[in-house]
Amino acid sequence: MTARRDVRVTVNGRAYTRNVEPRMLLVDFLRHECGLTGTHVGCAHGVCGACTILLDDVSIRSCLAFAVQAEGKEITTVEGLADGESPNALQRAFHENHALQCGYCTPGFLMSLTEFLRETPDPNEAQIRERLSGNLCRCTGYANIVRAVRAAARRPRDEDCAP
Amino acid sequence: MSARGDDGGAGTWVGRPVPRKEDPRLLRGIGTYIDDVPEPRGTLHLAVLRSPYAHARIGAVDASEAEALEGVVAVVTGADIADLIPPFTADYERPGFKVSRRSVLATDKARFVGDGVALILAENAYVAEDALGLVLVDYEQLPAVSDIEDALKPDAPRVHEELADNVLVEGGHGTEGFNEVFEAADHVLRERFRVNRVAGVAMEPRGCLAVYEKSDDAVTLWTGTQVPHMLRVGIARCLGWPESRVRVVAPDVGGGFGPKMYLYPEELLAVAMAREYRCPVKWIEDRLEDFLTTLQARDHVYEVAVAFDGDGVVKAVSVDALVNSGAYSTYPMGVGLEPFQGPLNMPGPYRFRQFAFTCKGIATNTCSTGAYRGVSAPGVAMAMEGMMDRVARRLGLDRVEVRRRNLVGPDEFPYVNVVDQLYVTGSYVECMNRALEMVDYEGYLAARPPERLVDGKYRGIGVAVVTELGGQGAARYKARGLSDLPGFDTARVELGPDGRVLATTSFSSQGQGHETVFAQIVADELGVPVDDVTVRGGDTGASPFGTGTFASRGAVVGGGAVMRASGELREKVRRFAAHLLEASPDDIVLEGGHAHVRGVRQMRIGFRDVARAAHGLTESMQLPEGEEFGLEAAATYDPEASSVSNACHIACVGVDAATGLVEVERYIVVHDCGRVVNPLLVKGQIQGGVAQGLGQVLFEEILYDAEGQMLSGTLMDYMVPTALDVPTLEMEHVESPATDNIGGFKGAGEGGVIGALPAVACAVGDALAPLGANVNRLPLRPDTVLGLIEGVGA
Repeated sequence: MTARRDVRVTVNGRAYTRNVEPRMLLVDFLRHECGLTGTHVGCAHGVCGACTILLDDVSIRSCLAFAVQAEGKEITTVEGLADGESPNALQRAFHENHALQCGYCTPGFLMSLTEFLRETPDPNEAQIRERLSGNLCRCTGYANIVRAVRAAARRPRDEDCAP
Repeated sequence: MSARGDDGGAGTWVGRPVPRKEDPRLLRGIGTYIDDVPEPRGTLHLAVLRSPYAHARIGAVDASEAEALEGVVAVVTGADIADLIPPFTADYERPGFKVSRRSVLATDKARFVGDGVALILAENAYVAEDALGLVLVDYEQLPAVSDIEDALKPDAPRVHEELADNVLVEGGHGTEGFNEVFEAADHVLRERFRVNRVAGVAMEPRGCLAVYEKSDDAVTLWTGTQVPHMLRVGIARCLGWPESRVRVVAPDVGGGFGPKMYLYPEELLAVAMAREYRCPVKWIEDRLEDFLTTLQARDHVYEVAVAFDGDGVVKAVSVDALVNSGAYSTYPMGVGLEPFQGPLNMPGPYRFRQFAFTCKGIATNTCSTGAYRGVSAPGVAMAMEGMMDRVARRLGLDRVEVRRRNLVGPDEFPYVNVVDQLYVTGSYVECMNRALEMVDYEGYLAARPPERLVDGKYRGIGVAVVTELGGQGAARYKARGLSDLPGFDTARVELGPDGRVLATTSFSSQGQGHETVFAQIVADELGVPVDDVTVRGGDTGASPFGTGTFASRGAVVGGGAVMRASGELREKVRRFAAHLLEASPDDIVLEGGHAHVRGVRQMRIGFRDVARAAHGLTESMQLPEGEEFGLEAAATYDPEASSVSNACHIACVGVDAATGLVEVERYIVVHDCGRVVNPLLVKGQIQGGVAQGLGQVLFEEILYDAEGQMLSGTLMDYMVPTALDVPTLEMEHVESPATDNIGGFKGAGEGGVIGALPAVACAVGDALAPLGANVNRLPLRPDTVLGLIEGVGA
């Protein structure tokens, strides 16, 4: 087995250094080494989007990356969205519009949409659905997620909405 | 209810779109799904070596290389644990059933691709997976069978050699006089419908963590299940342990939909290994394992015959149902669930009085099948509604008019249908009328050219009127021969010393919102704000015994238990408050977390003070005569009949003439699930159910080749609908409260799927009707639809 290596990353503003095998997936690193279990594994082959995180502000599927590839980078996960106990605008919109049921896919949607709303602050429904199509949800049938995105986009942008 | 406020009116929480109490933790990423449960020190990771063949005799297993791998603790084969974990089964010896036994790891032969052959215990999950590749198994491949009709042939490979054939269950029944009525009818139409095999695809795969508790010689099993109590009973029974040594806990569960209401081999293995090795054992499946081994559903053939008169009035219906049961029967539902559920649901909202059916559940070398949202109802609804359209086309009548002539009308309730199902209230015609208005049915037909081709797409509309059987209790389960389902559920409601309410139920949640809807019910019964109510469940160590979450039974049965327990507690609170206020209990009103004397609002006391007195936390003894300390009540609820929700779904589709792609352009639902607890959540259930139904109609299909190899084991091959495939529903509610259960609720979990299959299939059938295309099989993927357009599949 290949020798372990130190991986140094910043996750949600906090520095982590862990000694791991080079083959360790980034999502496993976040979940089991950093204890940030909000990022979920739905398929581990890059289709469902449940494991979406921001790596240096760009959304990626953390099941398709190795931890060593994140060396020296800044990561944002779902745990980094709320300001302490206070949800940000997007999280509030999900709550008010019942945009989640089992909630397993939700962190991936939130992270993908965080990037989307930063790049497309006033999206139309077609743009929203196009973006959502990269994440799978089995419970909601998407309608309330579309509503939540529209509601979040209409709100004045909170500082915490755009990490 | 006199206790609910001075106006004597209904409570204020049920019926409101209360946002969910479970959301904040899930939105912040601090929920606890199975892989998030903290792993105790020394946790071993379990991986299952799975047969690559659909049917193979298992010879020698050479585990030496795997055992030598650093980090591997043990390799265990089926033979090693045959005594520790005996084969388990769900079905008993009774007429029509053959008992098939399943070993948690195959000992003699593997019966489907994915059947467990050996397990690895290792120090981490990566090493466990490495070791799987190092175990050498001597397989003798046997001829396999995956298709139901092939499995019925006399020379078919036998999945269970000890059984005479592959028919695991068969049954049938006909009403008296069926043949005479059928033969005397003016017209008969026959059709054969094929319903595709699908998978639940909960976004969270299955997994479990079994923790050995040394001091008690017991095991706590954390697992993503819908039925913790059923699992505890099943595990203890299979392992021969006292139930006191097994505790089952369902944490947050990332979607259930039916497949997570079964006891799986991995759960038994984790529990047994945890005790055997005296350490925690964890197993988390990957998506391929989920496709291979989590119970699938449907894969049915329905041969339907409908006899009707010249006015389109249906006189008699028969159905012969074949169901692919997969390799093994299942616990706790058994192999009879899907075969018998189809005929039970076939009459739906219609009032024909003659009905005959046969059904068979057939073993094949494929994954077992079982409950998935709607069970057999979506498929038989497609068949029944498909026949209504065919009757209309045969007679040159409008399809709505044909339905109108056959629906149970508004004046006919309570109505007992041809399979003795009681419809106590309903709104079949009303829902259809409203949905037709919403879509402007006449306008749609008038605007469409006869060839139905507009902008390169064939336009079609499908109308489906459906019922949804939910909320079943013991009487219905026993009548259906489901010995391992108790039917009742339980709630315990406590007013704690701080004046806040804790309701603990026998349910576990997979996203339905129990923490919110049960809290709404408690809040109304007790007169407290919904924020003062905490709802828990899912832990056999803390929750009272009951059946669990499936088949649209949460609001009806769980809600009923919560309502009964809260009602009992309300009376006790009133007696304590009356004592403290020196009034009569009959004059005490509970409202907004206070008790006051009717008409004298200033004579009041907060729940906290009542609760402190009842818990002895006062300077002087304040126990009313004849009362005991504490403020809690427990109650079960067991509804006598099913609740029967109903809906009309209308789909408008465009079928691309060049590509065969079906696009759902509008989708209307008018739905009646009785008294609505939370409209926000009911709408969410319907939108989500329709999405799953659209998936089944348009793309989803578990495919096996003739050798039983799965061809759809990834989310690239098995197409779950995305946001580009599911329109936002136009939705309205009608409320016909159930009058035969205490809450007036009816189930809402499955109706979305049940309506979507017929609505969309009928719409595509309508779009392609001028071409003479016969839409009788799912899914309607572009290649299939192009075949229909070009006359290949006609």
